[in-house]
Amino acid sequence: MSRIVMTAAVALGLALGAGSAAQAADTKQVFDFYCAQCHGEKGDGKGINVTKDFATDPRNFTNKEDMEKRSDEDIRGVIKDGGPSISKSPLMPPWGATLTAAEVDGLLAYIRKMCNCKGK
Amino acid sequence: MKLLAVTVSIGAAMLVMTTATSYAAGGDAIFKKSCASCHYTDGPAKEKTIADQLAKKGPELWYAGSKFQKAWLGAWLQDPKPIRALKYNSLTDKNKGDHPKSSAADAAALTDYLMGLTSPEVKAGVIKAAATPQAKQIFNKKMPCGGCHATEKGGGLSGPSLVGAAKRLNPDWIYAYLANIKHFKPVRDMPDFGSVLNPKDLEAVAAYVATFE
Repeated sequence: MSRIVMTAAVALGLALGAGSAAQAADTKQVFDFYCAQCHGEKGDGKGINVTKDFATDPRNFTNKEDMEKRSDEDIRGVIKDGGPSISKSPLMPPWGATLTAAEVDGLLAYIRKMCNCKGK
Repeated sequence: MKLLAVTVSIGAAMLVMTTATSYAAGGDAIFKKSCASCHYTDGPAKEKTIADQLAKKGPELWYAGSKFQKAWLGAWLQDPKPIRALKYNSLTDKNKGDHPKSSAADAAALTDYLMGLTSPEVKAGVIKAAATPQAKQIFNKKMPCGGCHATEKGGGLSGPSLVGAAKRLNPDWIYAYLANIKHFKPVRDMPDFGSVLNPKDLEAVAAYVATFE
């Protein structure tokens, strides 16, 4: 019986390990799909939608000095509830009903990697 | 006399059925041969992951009859002009405008087939085109749609253009799409506005988009 439990535990552990590895790889895909059209694939704020008609400058995630001022909670909040949640442009729409909490956390980590910074 | 009437009725019914079947099958067959490599028509939505969406070469058409206006569709199939600035699913490649053209006869058969593909999510005759101040405020300021969608005033490039939406889209579908986007496109790069705007606001925005020439 205990052998069965152990086997099950190992199998579960392997499955979870594989899941998180896949998720890390998928975060770039999530960013490219939902964010890159405005923030750019490199996160520099130069996405394809940023034409002369675009009324704001999308956040440049590679700007360390600027991004250091943003807490992790600010970033999670703005992804889920949109720009107005931190008094920024509504051109950043709310993704809370679209993305899972794990995807939002993945994007936060991805953005922190782009700025090579931690939040305040 | 009674027997004659019954026979005539059955005959008439069979004739109608035969005509309808052969006509629909015509469009269906053309679609399978010429369109099905890029578009799917057997709904409901199949996409579950981003990879599923990215694997598609063109938009799903399983609710085409609810989405499009018949006259527009028939004309567009004969002379397809780009609706998107960019190639489907791309943020880098331009739309080359190379969608195949159909002959008038094929376009008519395809239109009949596609207009028969509807979604029960779309309630008919609810939304009438109207440009209200409430809708303009939402469309332009509160949830600026122009960030991704082009209008006559310009706008973003990643979403389909809304220029000509008045003739292209069914106003009731615009509302249904905004209100329950997951039903139509479970995986898409447009936010779920049904979760943040109330039904009256969504109706106003749908009615406004339906005015776009």
